[in-house]
Amino acid sequence: MDQKEESSSILDPCPICLSPIIQESYLDQCFHKFCYSCILQWTKVVASKHSHREPFIKCPLCKTKSSSIIYGYDGSTFQQHLLYDNSENSIFFTKAHKYRLQCYYIELGNTVGNINVSRYWKSYKYLQQNQWLYNWLSREIQALIQEKDVDVIVHHILGVIDSWRRNERRDSRISHEIKQEGFKSMVADAAKPFLRGRTERFVKEVEMFLASGLNIEAYDKVYIKHLGWKIPEIVGHHDDDDDCNPVIPVLSFSDEELDETN
Amino acid sequence: MQASRARLFKEYKEVQREKVADLDIQLVCDDSNIFKWTALIKGPSETPYEGGVFQLAFSVPEQYPLQPPQVRFLTKIFHPNVHFKTGEICLDILKNAWSPAWTLQSVCRAIIALMAHPEPDSPLNCDSGNLLRSGDVRGFQSMAKMYTRLAAMPKKG
Repeated sequence: MDQKEESSSILDPCPICLSPIIQESYLDQCFHKFCYSCILQWTKVVASKHSHREPFIKCPLCKTKSSSIIYGYDGSTFQQHLLYDNSENSIFFTKAHKYRLQCYYIELGNTVGNINVSRYWKSYKYLQQNQWLYNWLSREIQALIQEKDVDVIVHHILGVIDSWRRNERRDSRISHEIKQEGFKSMVADAAKPFLRGRTERFVKEVEMFLASGLNIEAYDKVYIKHLGWKIPEIVGHHDDDDDCNPVIPVLSFSDEELDETN
Repeated sequence: MQASRARLFKEYKEVQREKVADLDIQLVCDDSNIFKWTALIKGPSETPYEGGVFQLAFSVPEQYPLQPPQVRFLTKIFHPNVHFKTGEICLDILKNAWSPAWTLQSVCRAIIALMAHPEPDSPLNCDSGNLLRSGDVRGFQSMAKMYTRLAAMPKKG
């Protein structure tokens, strides 16, 4: 009897602080129990040790990999703290998404490779539909907001671009600079509610992709070649942001930017 | 900081309670500083350390248990993963593989396990590591046994 009591009091406390658990929380795979603040703190320590993002946390007790902390369970509902944001739990966030997201941390300069933006406007190329735009936009927006389901946003932006193009046809006397500006501010308006701080750059990227006239694969090649050595510089770069996700600058940074324009 | 203190205090109480449970480990907290501990561990049986009692010094960081404690042998020991001069221990759980669920007590157990199962491929004591790596188990054992007798056993007479 005595021993039983003793062993249960040994097993009950949080394995991190060894005190009775405050705000009970669980790792989503092994369901080991911790204080919410204890396990959260530990995930931060682990994250700060890795220069690259790990999509999981190893349980301090059993080393099982979990990607979220479940807390606030009241019998029917619970809350979930995703450790490394949606992006990393799901398979959709590929290397290509990562590379696109990283691009947003690099100064683009005037152009990419030998893509000629002004010729795109001068020669009325914008009147042609771009068959790859849908897929390109999907990937771009997935990368930026780190959500898988972006269809609504993509259709919205595509719709705005298409209707703009239809109207443009009828009105071809306006100078191409004005058209370019009109196009850009219109895409910006459509994208802003979703991309906020990233909008301006996003518009520039859309324009660049359209002006290239390339399919996604070819465009990526040109783009990566243009950036060349710059990409590795981004990986492992640290931002001392004391946020919930101090993992890699990419995420905390984006949160900050989003808040900024709120 | 407060968290580490509170946690060490819990461990202290646990050690007091379990004193008899693990006769191979005797953990003692410094009288005046809860961040300093020493431990006496028994050399595991069927190893060259059998019969020896080894003293470990713990220095616990303020971020404990988020950071591992620093542990070293105070007693001289001939072991591939222990620095012969400083007593520094090469053990993954004291470095990258640390988990806050480890306690000072369980670290002692891990060190006893390391004594019984040396890892000659990550040596801090190259002489010792080389003996094992070259397959000279007898040579290793007699050296280890000699140092156990010299340093880890009460002097006779």
